Order: sequence, then structure tokens, then C-alpha cells
Amino acid sequence: MSVKIEASEGGMPHDTMLGIGVVGALVCLYIVYLNSLMSTEVFAFFGGLAAVIALWWGTDSIKTLCSYGLGTGVPSAGMISLGSGVIAFLFASKLAGISPLLVPIGCIFIAAIIGAILGFISDKVLNMNIPVMTRMIAELTIVGSLTMLGFTAMVSGSFIFTDLIAGSVSFLGMEVTSYAASVIGGCVLATIFMLGAIAIQHPFNACLGPNESWDRTQMCALECGFLSMLVVAIMSVAFLSLFAVVISFAISVILWGWSYSEYIKLSKRDAFAWLDSKPIREVGGE
Amino acid sequence: MEEILFGIGISALAGALATVAGAAEDTESDIGSQGDPNSQVQLAPQMGYVHRIYNKAVSGEPPAYGLWVALAAGVAWALMAIQFNAILALVIGSAVAVFVQGVYATTAYLGRTASLAKFEQPVYIDILKSVTSVTMAHAFVAIFATVTMCFLMIEALGHPFPLPLMGIVWGIALGAAGSATGNPFYGKERQYQNYPFGAGLPISASGDIVRYAEAGERSSIDNGWFTSKGAGPASGICFGLIVFFELWRTILFEPFAAGWGAVIAGVVIIIVFMVIDRYVETWARNTYGPYNTEEAAPEEEAAA
Repeated sequence: MSVKIEASEGGMPHDTMLGIGVVGALVCLYIVYLNSLMSTEVFAFFGGLAAVIALWWGTDSIKTLCSYGLGTGVPSAGMISLGSGVIAFLFASKLAGISPLLVPIGCIFIAAIIGAILGFISDKVLNMNIPVMTRMIAELTIVGSLTMLGFTAMVSGSFIFTDLIAGSVSFLGMEVTSYAASVIGGCVLATIFMLGAIAIQHPFNACLGPNESWDRTQMCALECGFLSMLVVAIMSVAFLSLFAVVISFAISVILWGWSYSEYIKLSKRDAFAWLDSKPIREVGGE
Repeated sequence: MEEILFGIGISALAGALATVAGAAEDTESDIGSQGDPNSQVQLAPQMGYVHRIYNKAVSGEPPAYGLWVALAAGVAWALMAIQFNAILALVIGSAVAVFVQGVYATTAYLGRTASLAKFEQPVYIDILKSVTSVTMAHAFVAIFATVTMCFLMIEALGHPFPLPLMGIVWGIALGAAGSATGNPFYGKERQYQNYPFGAGLPISASGDIVRYAEAGERSSIDNGWFTSKGAGPASGICFGLIVFFELWRTILFEPFAAGWGAVIAGVVIIIVFMVIDRYVETWARNTYGPYNTEEAAPEEEAAA
């Protein structure tokens, strides 16, 4: 039985964050679906926002899980989150065969089931004995799958499986459908996977310590999410019209710049001192 | 015959790129104190040793380099998909990846240091300004060389994987090679130069890292200067050999036994290297012997 160490005082209750995370990500993902209804691509960036909201919530899940003395387990928690999430995401994108509206909500249910099984195995079979393990691994799997779904929707404008395996190449002036030029065939998913996996573990990993504070860690989560959005926007040049790419890119740059400057302000607030070109200050006086 | 010669030539070129990448990767991670030596940098203020060393806690090196290289490869792939010149696409991809690396490095330093306020560790803003750009420069060399190597494998050797997937595989391999080969030079020697060579790390010495230099105070860039002599080249040779042998065995032995020839050659190479490793280890132990003091210092392996 591991002992719980309170990571940081105050902040929003975890259940509230879970609610905001699930509802916010779902709403944003359904807005991406407007792309198909209105035959446009400009709503793609809402996929990135869905991923950022999921990452914001997932950071708190990792913090809750890792408050049981899993110092070096923080990056691993990020990896298992996306690693199990990608299964749920690919399975859910096939649900579009029944109805495209089923994909985001189906993704959450499938991820919850996979995550609960994995959490149960880690907790009971591998005997890690951490009380919140099953629930948090399930949450992290949902976060991972929503992150993949969101960034995939942002890079290609769609989360429907048949769209993800069909890219178009212009050959002698004609548009030819090609698997190798698609999101899955071109393995852009590999990049999205790593973007999500590092972004979900980084905020708590970077801010852990005795003076960790809730708002600074969560601001770091937003910063990592918007930074990932920014590069996903660059990669979307391969799939979307230039207008949609410029909109995604502009929104990502503005949000990232805001969150980065806020994060620096919060670090300045929490730091013991903010020195420029000063010598080592020996603790306990000279 | 000509095809095999061409393949061996590409293998040699890829191996050379990998050597450069490995050397740059390890120097980069040592300047930023990433990987397992980071735990001592993190611990030092808690033991009362306030320092001016960079604290780049992004994650272990393999996942971090998995991201940087996969990101460079993903952006390069997307740009090539809209008919960009391949060289230009690779350079832009690496530049974007290095930008992301630099941002992650600064948030890690600020976050970790601000969370140590209780132990009176200040944030030194000049470290952020001077060291971040140096790690970014080394990371650019490592990322660009690795992505170019992946591109060569696909275009010249006909590897079936798309570029981003190659990027994630070889990025993780690059981080693992640098982390396993180069970090002992920094973590076990450079950080503990004020203890006898080979003394191990007793618990009482934890966190007592070298903070003052020959003149003035030690900066993380000095650590890059130190590790670029031994650790960087060693990591480079390690990663270069991995890439070279991997490609060489595939090119030469793939036609035998329906592809199994390459697998058998791989197993033989691993066994040969195990024998060499064992010989070097026993030779080193017999030549230099165990470290002896009155009270035997227990070897403390710090968690990364």
C-alpha cells in the first residue's frame, strides 16, 4: 500500500475538472463535424482545442496518480495514456460506418473500458496497490484517445476512418487517391502520438517539487497543448486548404503566446528569487 | 553486385550521420542535465547545495528524442506532400522540432526551479538565456542528422515505412544510445569530481554535485565542454554502429533463406558483441580492481 502525498493545495476539485474535460472536448469535437455538414475545413482547429481541454484535465489525473510516490513514473503514465488511447481512437473512428456522430462519444466509452481493464491489471495483477490506479488509468486512456482524436481532426479536418486512410496526390494535374498520402498511411499519427504523450506528462513532470502550485501546473498544461496545436497546424498543410491552415496556425500562435507569457509570470510569482547574472547564493549565509 | 555496393555506401553514409547525431545528442542532454543525471541536479538544492546548473526535465531522453525526431519527420513529410524540395523540407522540419525542444526546455527549467522555492533555489534568468540556445543548437544537429538518415533509408534503400514512423523508431533509438552510453560520463564523473575517481555515490554524498569551476562558478556549458571529449564521441560510435550494423546485415544477408539470413546475422552480431563486452568488463575489473576504502562505499544508483 502506497502512501499518498498531497501534491498541491487548493485548485479545482478533480471531479469538476473531469466534467469540464469530457464535456468541453466532446463539444469541440462535434463542432469539427460541422466541416462535413457545411463542406468546409475552417473548423478543424476545434479538434486541437478539444485535445488541449483533454490534456488540461489529464494533467490533473497524472498528478492524482503520481501523488502516490511515482516520481519516475510520470513520463510512463503519459506513455500508457496515449498507448492505450490510440487503440480506442482507431476503433472509435471505425464507428463512423454506423454514424459519424457516434465517434467522439463511442471513443470515450471504448477508452473507459480498455483503461479500466489495464488499470485493474496494473493494480491487482501486477500488485502495485494504488487505490486510485484503476480509475486514473481509465481517465488517462480517455484523455489519450481524445487527444489523438482531437489532433487527428485538426490535422485532417475529419475523424472518420475512411477519410483517414484516403489521401490525395496530384499526379500529372489529376487528383489521385492514395493510401500513402493519408493520415494513417503517412503515419502522421506517429508524430501526433508523441506530441500527445510528451504534452500530457510534461506539465506535472516539469512543475513537481515542494512548491508545486495548481494554477502554474495547469497553465503549463495549456502551454504544452497550444504548442502541440501549433505544430499540428503546420503539418495540416498536407491535408487542408491554405485558408484553414492559416486560421489554425494564427489561433494556435496567439493562444500559445498568451499561455507561455502567463506561465512565465506564474513562475516568477512562485520562484524564491528571480536573478539575472548573479552568483550562487549559499544557503545559511556567507 | 552494383546494388550491394550502392547499399553498403548508403549504410556507411547513414552510419556517419548517426555518429554525428549520437555525439550531438549526448552533448545536448548533458548541457541540459536531462536523463538520469538530472535527479542529482534536482536533489542538490534540497540538500542545501544551491547551484547554477540547467534542469531540463522533459522526460527520459528516449521519449523526448522520439518526439523531436518524429516531429521533424512529420513536418518534413507534410511539406514534401505539398511538393517542397526534400532538403528544404528536412531543414524546416528540424527547425520546427528544435523550436518545440527549446520551449519545453525553458518550461522545464522554470517549473522545476520555481517548485524548489522552499529550499531557496533562485531562478537564474541568465542561465535560461545563455544555455537554452546552446542545447537547441546541439539538438538541431542531432535531429537533422537523424531525419536525414531516415530519409536516406527510405529513398535510397527502399525501406517501406513512412518518414514519421522511421523518425519515431530512430529517435527513440538515438535517445536510448545517448542515455545509456554518454550519461555515466556526466552523471557519475563530472557531477562528482570532488570525490575520488570510481568511488561510487554513497547516500551521504547525494546532491553534493560540483558547483564551482576552476575559476568562478560552473555553468552547464562547461559540462558540455567536458562531455564532448569522451561521452559525445562514445555515444556517437554507439549509435553509428547500431545504424551501420542494422543496415549492413539487411543489405548483405536478406537474400538468404527468404529474409531469415538477416535475422540470423543480427543474432550473430549480438552474440559477438556480448563476448566483446564481457571481455572488456573482466579486463577492466582485473586491471583496475574494485575500489577499496576502510568502509566500503555502497553503490547508490539514483533514480532518473
